[in-house]
Amino acid sequence: MRFFSQIVPAAIFAALAFSADSGALEIGQIKNTSGQVFLLRNNQQQPAKPGDIVEEADTIITGANGSFGVTLIDSTRISAGPNSRIELKQFRFNPATQEGESLTQLHSGTLAIVSGQIAKRSPDAMKVQTPTTILGVRGTRFAVKLEE
Amino acid sequence: MIALRRLVLHALAASLFVSGCATANTFVVLLPEEGGAASAVIVGNDSQRAVLDKPYSTATVDTRGGVETKTITAEEANRMFADALAAQPPQPISFTLYFETNSLEVTPSSRPALEALFAEVAKRQAVEVQVTGHTDRVGSEADNDRLSLQRAEAVRTMLIQRGINSNFVRAVGRGEREPLIPTPDEQAEPRNRRVEVIVR
Repeated sequence: MRFFSQIVPAAIFAALAFSADSGALEIGQIKNTSGQVFLLRNNQQQPAKPGDIVEEADTIITGANGSFGVTLIDSTRISAGPNSRIELKQFRFNPATQEGESLTQLHSGTLAIVSGQIAKRSPDAMKVQTPTTILGVRGTRFAVKLEE
Repeated sequence: MIALRRLVLHALAASLFVSGCATANTFVVLLPEEGGAASAVIVGNDSQRAVLDKPYSTATVDTRGGVETKTITAEEANRMFADALAAQPPQPISFTLYFETNSLEVTPSSRPALEALFAEVAKRQAVEVQVTGHTDRVGSEADNDRLSLQRAEAVRTMLIQRGINSNFVRAVGRGEREPLIPTPDEQAEPRNRRVEVIVR
């Protein structure tokens, strides 16, 4: 089980990195929303608003007129258009050493990304997964769309 | 056992994901860099892959994993991704503040940068700040670890006094281990006595 070996270190890492503050697995913050935007965490869905903290394994969902932007703690910026479902599947980042790993999944809709420190520090550490492929991010700005 | 539950959910989600739902093609476009740095996106795995390394080069991956590449115009890309691009958060900004020897005082020449930092933090919606302190190599490593953290905490305190939520300012100290200018041990170097601040 590859997931076991990846997720346990991620959780421990995040807990260590932020134990001085709230103790939560905070990995970023929602910066803007427009229209209907929801945050799905532990099977609970609630409206998302600017300033909301995002955690590893959160999913952000937009409605037919929705969009949002989120900035992660490695300075990666993720934004999405309408009818989108984006899961922050795995995220591990050490602010002191700037090293980490991330996996973001696009389940539906459109996504634009400006990569941050994780991709800059180590070229294969940031990945984006879709239902048909996986993207390796080498420090860049790009956009992804699922064509239903 | 939240961690364990999360693990199980991940595994479950992964298996569901693998067994079905690959009904949509994936379309990827590389966009020009803000800073003009070299960049690329690697699409697909070893057997079927494409490297996008020119602005507006695209790849479409079909449900069988087949990859097709082409190039589109800036207008086409901006139209296809109009909403997502409009929602992109502002670029994080970095500030460097220099400190007096063995002190928590910002140098007079860094006062304008400090004021610029306060102004940027006040301007941003849903702001978050990372503060990292450093020292030069004068003194022991342990003392410098402590001094660098105190410098970072001093900046953090000033930001909190100006109204930023304390949960959104994180301070760490890196001691003398990440000099801007490499020097022999015990050599004074004003450019290494600094705090780096990232405003997101």
